[in-house]
Order: sequence, then C-alpha cells, then structure tokens
Amino acid sequence: MPDTSAAGNTSPTTVFSARIIHTLDPAAPSGSAVAVRDGRFLAVGDANDLVATYDGTIDDTVADKVLLPGFVEAHSHRDTGGIWQFTYVGYEPRVDPDGRLWPGCTTFDAVVERLSEADRMLADPDEPLLAWGLDPIFWPGERLDRRQLDTVSTTRRIFVTHSNMHLATVNSALMEVEGITPDTVAEGVPKDGSGWPTGELQEFPAMALAGSAFRSFFGRQRSDEAVQMFGRAARNVGITTVTDLGTSNLLDEAIVRQWTSLADEAFPIRAAMFHGALMSAPDGDEACAAAMVDLKQQSTERIRFGNVKLLLDGSIQGGTARLRWPGYFHGGPNGIWLIAPDQYAERLAPYHRAGLQVHTHANGDEAVDVLLDGLEQVQRAYPMPDHRHTVQHCQLTTPGQYRRMQALGMCANVFANHTWFWGDQHRDITVGPDRAARMNATRTALDLGVPLSIHSDSPVSPLGSLHVAWAAVNRLTPSGRILGPDERITVAEALHAITMGAAWQLRMEDDIGSITPQKFADCAVLEADPFEVDPVELRDVPVWGTMSGGVLHPGSQQSA
Amino acid sequence: MTRRRTTPTRREQPRLPLTVIGGYLGAGKTTLLNRLLAEPDGQRIAVLVNDFGEIDIDGRLLDSAADDVLRLANGCICCSMVDGFADTLETVRGFADRIDRVVVEVSGVGQPHKVAQWGHSPGFSPDGIVVLVDPLSVRDRATDRYVGETVIAQVAHADLVVVSRTDVATSSELEGTETWLNGVTDATVLRAPVPAGILVGPDARRVAPGGTPSDRGTETGSARYPEHVTISRWLGGPVSRSSIDIWTRARPAGVVRAKGLVRVDDRPDDRTVLQVCGSSTTVGVDGPWDNGDDAVVAIALPGTPRAALVKWLNLLG
Repeated sequence: MPDTSAAGNTSPTTVFSARIIHTLDPAAPSGSAVAVRDGRFLAVGDANDLVATYDGTIDDTVADKVLLPGFVEAHSHRDTGGIWQFTYVGYEPRVDPDGRLWPGCTTFDAVVERLSEADRMLADPDEPLLAWGLDPIFWPGERLDRRQLDTVSTTRRIFVTHSNMHLATVNSALMEVEGITPDTVAEGVPKDGSGWPTGELQEFPAMALAGSAFRSFFGRQRSDEAVQMFGRAARNVGITTVTDLGTSNLLDEAIVRQWTSLADEAFPIRAAMFHGALMSAPDGDEACAAAMVDLKQQSTERIRFGNVKLLLDGSIQGGTARLRWPGYFHGGPNGIWLIAPDQYAERLAPYHRAGLQVHTHANGDEAVDVLLDGLEQVQRAYPMPDHRHTVQHCQLTTPGQYRRMQALGMCANVFANHTWFWGDQHRDITVGPDRAARMNATRTALDLGVPLSIHSDSPVSPLGSLHVAWAAVNRLTPSGRILGPDERITVAEALHAITMGAAWQLRMEDDIGSITPQKFADCAVLEADPFEVDPVELRDVPVWGTMSGGVLHPGSQQSA
Repeated sequence: MTRRRTTPTRREQPRLPLTVIGGYLGAGKTTLLNRLLAEPDGQRIAVLVNDFGEIDIDGRLLDSAADDVLRLANGCICCSMVDGFADTLETVRGFADRIDRVVVEVSGVGQPHKVAQWGHSPGFSPDGIVVLVDPLSVRDRATDRYVGETVIAQVAHADLVVVSRTDVATSSELEGTETWLNGVTDATVLRAPVPAGILVGPDARRVAPGGTPSDRGTETGSARYPEHVTISRWLGGPVSRSSIDIWTRARPAGVVRAKGLVRVDDRPDDRTVLQVCGSSTTVGVDGPWDNGDDAVVAIALPGTPRAALVKWLNLLG
C-alpha cells in the first residue's frame, strides 16, 4: 500500500474527469472525476473538488467518456493473442489486437486469395504458411483439401487449422516434406478416391504429422509477442485483468520470467496465472504445491502466481463432458474423465492444504457431483476457511448443486457466452430444449448466494467482457430464440460479475474490481453508458480503451 | 530457439516403436513400468510418464537428471509429459540414436487406443496397445456409474490384456475375470508376469544377418522366462506379396508378439513392417528399404511347439 500519510505525500496526483463514473462500489456509486496517485485510486467525486482537496492536476483526455472498473476476464488463455501471428481465414469478420479488421472469407476463393496474399508476404521459402479459423460448416457438401491449397503454393508448406482447433488442412508440399502418403495409416487422415490423403488432418495425433509446421503453430503461442498481443487484445475490449488458466507450465522458470519481465509499465494488463497441474506435476502434487507456494512470492503488482487449475471432464459440444442421467440428447456415449473420480480429492488435497486456490474445469453436471464430493471430503479432513475454490464453466450445474457450492464456500465461473455461440446446437443436438434452457444458470447461482463470474474462455469464444455480459443478460441465440428467459440476469448483476465477481474469485477483491480508493487505478473507458443503452445493445457499447495503474491505454481502434 | 527441418534425418533413422500401456487405477501399471525399467531385457526403453513420483529408481542406477528426462545407467530413459505429447515426443526423438523403443503410460482414465495414435508421429511407429486389469476389482469398476464405460472401452480396444495381481487373486477370480474379458474384448488375454519382449515387442534389428534363407532360424530364451519361446529368422532376400498374405492368416496359436522388417517384391524400395501384438496383425510401410533389415522374430507362450513357429516363419521364404 502506498504511503498516504502527510509526510510521504509527495507523488503527483492526477484527476481524470469523465462524463460519468460508475464505480460499482455501493458506498459511492458514481462521480464525474477520479483522483489517482501512485497508480491507485485516491478518491472519487467532482473534478474541481478533487483538484482542490488533493492538489491534483486535471487530465481531460477521457472527459467525454464513461468509466467503469476495468473488466476482469476470469477464464481466458494465453493463446488469445498469439493466434494473431498467423493468417486469419475464418467466415466471420474479426478485429486483431492491433485494430486491423480481417474481413470474413465467405467463399473458398476468398480463402485461397487470403492465403496467396500471405504467401507473397513471406520472404523465406522454407517458412511454412500458418493460418487459422477455417470453418467448413458454412460450406456444406464441400471440403477444402490439399488441391485448393496447392493453387496457393506448390513449394511452400501450408498448414491451416479449423476454427475448433481440432482439425487442420495441409497442402501437397507439406505432405511431401513430412512423408504423408498413401502409406500413412494413422486415424484421422482421410483419403480420396486415388488413395492419397486429402490433406485434412483430424485431431492432434494426426495434426502432429505436419511436423515442424504443427509445432511452430502451437509453439509460437508461447512467444513474447503472443503475450504482448494478449495484452493489446484485452485493452481493446476494456479488460484490465486477465487469467491464463492452466495454459502455461509455471514450473518452467523461463515462462515465469517471461511474464514478469514483459509486464512492465507499458504492459496494459494484470494477469492471474494458473498452473495446469493436471499434466504438469512431474514430481507429484505435494512437490508441485510446494513449488507453487514458493512461486507465489514472485508475484508482482501485475502478475499473480499461486493458483492451480485441474480438469475433470471435456466439453458439451464435443460430446466429452460428463452428464448425469439422461445423458446426451443426441444419444451419444457419455463423456470422458480427465481425472479419475476416485482421485479428485487426492489430487486437490495437497494444493488445498497449502492454502492455494484451485479452479476446476467441470462442464457436465456429473463432473460437478464428483467435484463437490471431493471438496467436501477434503474440507472435512483439512478445514480451510475462505478457500474460494471455483467451479469453472458450470454449464449444466443444477440448483441442488449450487446450494452445495454455496454451503461449501465455492465460487461459480459460468460460461455465459455459450448461449450465443452454441445455444441453438445445445437446444437441438447436445442436451435438448429443457436442459438448454437451464444451462449456464446465472440467475439460479445468484439467487442461491454463490459468488458469480462469467467468462469467454478466450480463444474458445472471442475475448470481450461486454459480450459475455450481454449474453447473460439476454440469453439470445443466433436463430433468435431466448434460451431460458428465467435464467437472465440484470445489466447491473452482469457488470458486477465481470468486475467484482471475478475479482473475488481470483482473491484480488482488495486490489481490483471496483473504483474504490486504495485499489489499482484500473478502468474500462467506454464511449456510451452501459446502464443507459438498451440491454440488447450492451455488447455494442464502443470501448475507447482502458486505464491501467493510472495510465491511459487507448485501444488500437483509436489509431486504426 | 531455432527450428530445424527434421525431414532429412527422419529418413535415415529407423522409426522408434511406440507401445502404450494403460489400465484403470490400481491395475499395476506403475509396478510394471518399474520392472521394465529395472529389467528391460537388453532393450534401451524410453518410458513416458505423467508423474516421476511413482517411478522407483535406485539412486545408483540413475545416470543423470535434467529437463524432465531421467537417464539410467542401463540405457533406459524416463521422460515426463509436462509439456504435452507433441513436445515430449520431440524430446524423445532427440534420443533416437540411444534408445530402441518407447513406452507411454496412459492415465488411469485415459483411452490407450486414442493415445496410441501418437505412434504415427514422425519418427515413431505404433507397436501395440497393452491394457492391464486388476482381477480383484475390474468387474466392479465396469459397472461403476462414473467409470464403467471408461474401463470397458479400455479393454475393448486393447490388443493385449494382462491380468495383474496373479499372486493375490484366487484361481476362481482369475478365471472369472478371463471369462468376463473374453465377453468384452477380442484382445489376447494373458496372466502376469509377462516378459518384456511380449509387453513392448521384440526387436527385429537384433537378428544377426547370416546363414541361408533355408535356415530354420535361431531360438533364444531369457533367464527369467525360459518357458517362453522366441524364434527369429534372417530372411536374406525379398518376400512375395502372396507369402505375406498367407503368413498373416496362418499365425499359430500361442504367438503373442511378432515383428518383421521385410522387403516385399511389389514394393522393393520400401521397408514393409509386419507386426503382431495380441489380437492385432498389421502390415505397413514405414520408410525406404534399408539394407540390413530383413528379419522376423516371434514370441510365443510356454508350450507352443517350436516346429509350428519355424514352419510359420518359413512361410516368408
């Protein structure tokens, strides 16, 4: 905490005036200016009063904007930014972290043209052309294959991943270099009438046949540039704190150094880093927990360590989440376990005992049963006050389960974006109309007193807290349905979930989540007031950029 | 970090056979992997695990430990999969000239047949899906509401199922387990202990060239498993496609593992690989023909008549 006594009162004070400030702090809900000193909020009020009281200098840069506390994305991944190092060929238009609009490729010809342009930009003929976002679902009956990619280049290797990241299509030059031939008998390598692989590689073991192009695609997501792009992408949508939920191996000192050294004054975000303990506990969970306790000491004002992620099941749209009776609406087999139900308590216990926070991925309701039973067992053996262990995704969590979560002191981070991105599929295919209406039950969670946040799981769905809030408030699907109107929450509740709700479950509520004196001076800077727009337009509120630690960071949309 | 295009070297180096070993919690995977590392039967094995903690390595046998790789004095190595499959396999490839094969431990809830697909990665070739089962608990697990389908899928897609804990299970528990297994899987079912050559496959490259194609082959046994029958044969020349077809259909009862590296008359520039693991027999091409390949080796259960094995291998001549 900065020294705010009179004697130490030598740091300059800046007073930022605004059209209106919504603090989301009920003790002082609004103001027209905020005073900032030492990177923290000093006071909220009227500009002239603040200048007079705190001897501040006024800054009018955002005088016509609306300030909210910086948004907190409580479930995202490092790959959010790094993916933009590659050529985008998706169907929907998207904006990259530098503000450039990439029009959608709505035809095969547009994909080929986009790739040809990228091919001409690459100087080194040995460098593979890497692209992403292809979504053949929009071209039923047709399939992009190696022959179309061969019209882009017959010499350069081309590797294009599909939007779900579980498939890729490659060209003949790549197949030649990597020895993908009619003799390749791996699963997930379909062949055409001539016996040659079509160029499509399905699932990771098959994609790995693409050798160094595959490794480069996934490896470059760990680059410094990828981390910087994550920061810029967050800033553009008003997010000031992100999470990297288990994507990075934090036992690797180089990765820890990378994040702490990149997060300097100019870095626009804070990040809560979660170690992916499911796979990365090579010396066992006790040793991993001890390492995380040590690592916690290396936390900085921008990068927080000391959290752990576990996973219990897969995804609902992938048919791999574990569902209670009656299972999948499409009649497919029940999903997979990533941790044996018998072992969950045993894996959780070392981190729990060490006082670390564990966020566990559980999409299906059966996975949540295992999670709750496991935590209850561990809590009985090693009671830990205020542990705030969190269920990540909670997509089919039932009212009964929310009651248990509340009783056990757990938090819920609900995948609210699903109602928009997969809502129609959930209704028609995966879980059927009744359960689809009850999915992502934000209303129930709040009514039963479970601390709530909502998330994008970016890059699984695009980063953007206002979009997530809009999804929870409206529960609209692309076909125009309202999926479960009774589970909608209000704009105020949704904004709380993407600020204080998230801050609470990251155990950062004393530092971020509201515009309250002593907290970091982190704001979302908006062009319109989310409390005044029609709730159905919440996602369209333009974002100017952010303030992080008292420094304004205009989004790249300002210079584009 | 610079990335090198690895293709030119891939063609020169033999592919590393990759065997996956799975089975639900308590099935005995750890015991088995520890024994493989301690008694690798002359092979230099790379064992890939999630957790080093369960690997019991005598300090005197440990040669060095760095970057998630333990190197043992007997030539074996043990790698953790902290950075995921693709990166770990790339690390293992860096040891390709110092190891003979790879064994991957699949988590208790993992599906070995899915993990086995990584065996097609550049530099590797799949070499069997082995699943262990605990005769005292597997039938209960198979009806468990949480893990029943998982346990059944594991054994259903195995090539070879090994029933463990034969020292504590009663004969009726063992027989009941075997009867149950025969109803849910086509895999070959064996009782532990099973020699390393059966678990991870024999090494056809060890067959010394020599003799004439009409030789009846050599017989070897191991000190620990003298009753198992291992027969190998140097082939010395191309094999006809029709002989291969006959060979794959004529496997004698009792053969649980075989490996052949052969040159087939209609694919003279390629190395054709014949492989038997339990219930599975495959014939594939995994690279260009390399002079010096040319051998076949088979391992059979105790009591299998040698003459039948010799006759079988002679079909390839």
